[in-house]
Amino acid sequence: MANIVQVLVDAIALGSLYALVALAIGLVFGVMRLVNFAQADYITIGAYALVVPTVSVTPPLLLGALPSALMIGGVLVVVMALALLTERVAFRPLRNSNPSTLLISSFAVSYFLQNLVMLIHTGRPKSVGIGQGLANAVEIGGVRVPGVQLLTMVVTAGLLVALVLFLKKTPLGIQMRAAAENFQMARLLGMPANRVIALAFAISGLLGGAVSLLLTIQTGTLDLRMGLMPVVYAFFATVIGGMGSLPGAALGGFLVGVASVLLQTYLPADLRPFRDAGVFMMVILILLVRPQGLIVTSAAKERV
Amino acid sequence: MSRPSKERLEARGVAVAFGGIRALSGVDLELRRGEVLGLIGPNGAGKTTMVNVLSGFQRPTSGSISLDGIDVSKLTARKIAQAGVGRSFQAARLFRAMTVEQNLSVAAIGSGLSRKAARERALEILDWMGLAKKADNRCDSLSYGDERRVSIARALALQPSFALLDEPASGMNDAECEALMEVIAELPARFGCGVLLIEHNMKVIMGVCQRIHVLDGGQSLAEGSPQDIQKNPAVRRAYLGEKAADSTLAI
Amino acid sequence: MKSDTMSFATIGRFWFPVLALVIPLAIIVVVTGQFGGLSIQRTVIEMLISIVIVVGLYVFVGNSGIISFGHATFMAIAAYASAWQTCCEMLKPITMSGLPPFLRDQSIPLLPSAVVSVLLAGGAAFLTGLVIMRLTGLAASISTLAVLFILNVVYSNWDSVTMGSASIVGLPTYVTAWLALGCAVFAIVIAYLYQVSAFGLAIRATREDEVAAAASGISLYWSRLIAFTLSGFMVGLGGVLQAHYLGTVSINSFFLSFTFLALAMLIVGGMGSLAGAVVGVVVITAMVDIFRRLEGGISIGGEQWSLPAGTQELIIAAFMLLILVFRKDGIMAGREMTLPGQEQREKGLING
Ligand SMILES: Nc1ncnc2c1ncn2[C@@H]1O[C@H](COP(=O)(O)OP(=O)(O)OP(=O)(O)O)[C@@H](O)[C@H]1O
Ligand SMILES: [Mg+2]
Repeated sequence: MANIVQVLVDAIALGSLYALVALAIGLVFGVMRLVNFAQADYITIGAYALVVPTVSVTPPLLLGALPSALMIGGVLVVVMALALLTERVAFRPLRNSNPSTLLISSFAVSYFLQNLVMLIHTGRPKSVGIGQGLANAVEIGGVRVPGVQLLTMVVTAGLLVALVLFLKKTPLGIQMRAAAENFQMARLLGMPANRVIALAFAISGLLGGAVSLLLTIQTGTLDLRMGLMPVVYAFFATVIGGMGSLPGAALGGFLVGVASVLLQTYLPADLRPFRDAGVFMMVILILLVRPQGLIVTSAAKERV
Repeated sequence: MSRPSKERLEARGVAVAFGGIRALSGVDLELRRGEVLGLIGPNGAGKTTMVNVLSGFQRPTSGSISLDGIDVSKLTARKIAQAGVGRSFQAARLFRAMTVEQNLSVAAIGSGLSRKAARERALEILDWMGLAKKADNRCDSLSYGDERRVSIARALALQPSFALLDEPASGMNDAECEALMEVIAELPARFGCGVLLIEHNMKVIMGVCQRIHVLDGGQSLAEGSPQDIQKNPAVRRAYLGEKAADSTLAI
Repeated sequence: MKSDTMSFATIGRFWFPVLALVIPLAIIVVVTGQFGGLSIQRTVIEMLISIVIVVGLYVFVGNSGIISFGHATFMAIAAYASAWQTCCEMLKPITMSGLPPFLRDQSIPLLPSAVVSVLLAGGAAFLTGLVIMRLTGLAASISTLAVLFILNVVYSNWDSVTMGSASIVGLPTYVTAWLALGCAVFAIVIAYLYQVSAFGLAIRATREDEVAAAASGISLYWSRLIAFTLSGFMVGLGGVLQAHYLGTVSINSFFLSFTFLALAMLIVGGMGSLAGAVVGVVVITAMVDIFRRLEGGISIGGEQWSLPAGTQELIIAAFMLLILVFRKDGIMAGREMTLPGQEQREKGLING
């Protein structure tokens, strides 16, 4: 029994992590119809900001050397600044392009950033030790929950709640939701585009930074592609959730995360490496049944 | 009312609601082959919505559509087009990076023709409408009036039994309107189709329609010959507001 | 009527956009074959193979307007299929023990194996298209990404058949400059005939305006599915060529970096026209080649000087972004090659 509880804990932790990334993707999509590949590199660069650029595989710490609060703040600021920079330099000039052009441009930005990191830090994976104290398991009601898991759950839950409050209670948040639900209309009604879009990028950077830290603490390694899988999962999450729907994105993220953990646990050992393929197949099957995604917004339908 | 019959495009009790807005509530409309039926009404009356329903782009909340006596309410827009319902759009919606001939050929291909036969039909229609010289021009280089005419021509290239034209004359000058009226008046004889004409310009409506159907606030207000409609006090009130004794209707 | 008046002039006009692409390519092959060094010749072959691939990609992406990240999948399927059939007869039973006996214990002649591989790629594209082409444009794009990942995960882990993420080496290398040129010409001709056909016209209409296309009786689903399948066949051919040019096959060469490069070629040239696809390949191949050489090191005035590894990728990505911002329809801006003075008339035949 305890085993099942443990699996559930894992599933919820990963599900909420993916929900977080999916929300970051969904917010930016909502305000400018951009599916942002570069989100992966926000996450990667946030993590690399912890260390000094060297060729070493065990590099000395940079932001990682700071006291926890400063380190966290530092990473978040770096990633938010990066997100805003990409918005300003690459995406703003393309703002009125069609979604396909935007998608391909974010692919280019992502490729650029990834190679930039490689140029600075080399392509080798590196190990970094931050938050080691969290490796200890905490025992809650007979279930041993690793500290990192617990942290992930607390942080993601906290961020999700904060984000929901922001979107529901503040004027800017409400505008952002309106934009996501009906982009054209929000534009017509005079949504202050620059401000709302910049804010969406800032939030996606904030969430990206949080994910950077959580991933680094979990794995203790840095890798050029560390942001890729979460973001790819988040893409699929936004599609099965229904493009343009924020609750859909969160729900989708949660579903793919949970599915991933369940497959990892219950697949026979020799099929386990195929886990991601299984989840992605599931995504395609869901789309076969519901091409518009689980939650259909008016954004998905064009007015004739 | 008569039972659904052959040679007709019929809407029965069609209602459409967008959230709280009732764009149409229980409208019956019948378009016969060989006639030009005017569909008029103030802005927001539900005319475009009616065309969207008839052409399969909008599922009615309730009610049904039948084509030559067969229920087509569940068909997709593409299938309805192939079944012989052509339409134009209020905003021309041309394939802008393609030539005029290609725009028409697409519809001809959609109706089942080969590329070569499609081109022939397209050129024939363009010739008839006096657009032959523009055949190989890209649509993003057309004048506004030509854009509108090409969008009508494209609807015809489908060789439809019913053509639904959404404000084809909007933005045209008087001379262009005259020419367009000639074209529309000739459609039933030339293509053997029925034409549903939405138009705000009363001169055009009165000039070419055999019957007129008036919508207001999503409901049928009246239907009849141009003379009847012109005289109908309810229509004048709805259409012109309180200053009904205006001259616009009485051309 | 029309066919009676078919003269050399009309035929010439019809084929001009193809000839304007093919003849320069042939000249490049002849000239580099006569005067170029070995490394230039290799670059030219790579460029011709890229043309097969990018023109194949264009058949779907350019005509439908939907970005696909999934085409490397069909290339990989063809490349691996060809490897299974033709590679290393001695080693196969050991390194790829999971293959069915008819593949494991014998080699299949080159031509039939190539044909089978291309058919497999097209078949795989058709099957994925059946599902994915039902989605709206952006969701379809992202789903092609899912396809890419699925294949990557499967082939990287299916050790007994694909050798996992290791390279399969020892494929017969039969691709010469002339064969590559022949295939590039074939791809260009197919893409051209397709785009001026009824199917091509139909899918281009859906790219311009889905709603108006539906009102014209065009099926979004079928026209996209046909384009996707045809383009699957074509990139499959590219995959076979690449495999038998390099002599090795490795799943990681069919993943995101490759996808990026192929899309960059298409976007830079302009995805709206066949000429754009070809021009993009030529431009990006030249850039990659130049920067690869600079990264390798050159000597200026007796001093050894080189760019750090990775500069090439940065520059290609930056170049692509600049194109997107300042010339978003690419170098060719959706135009085909036209005879001067016949621009207006020609558009009718070609640009649809
Ligand atoms: N997709 C939609 N979503 C929400 N409301 C809609 C939609 N389409 C139409 N409406 C509303 O339905 C009503 C009828 O619109 P419709 O376009 O049919 O009017 P119309 O008679 O064509 O007007 P006009 O003469 O201005 O073209 C309007 O109030 C309009 O705002
Ligand atoms: Mg209207």
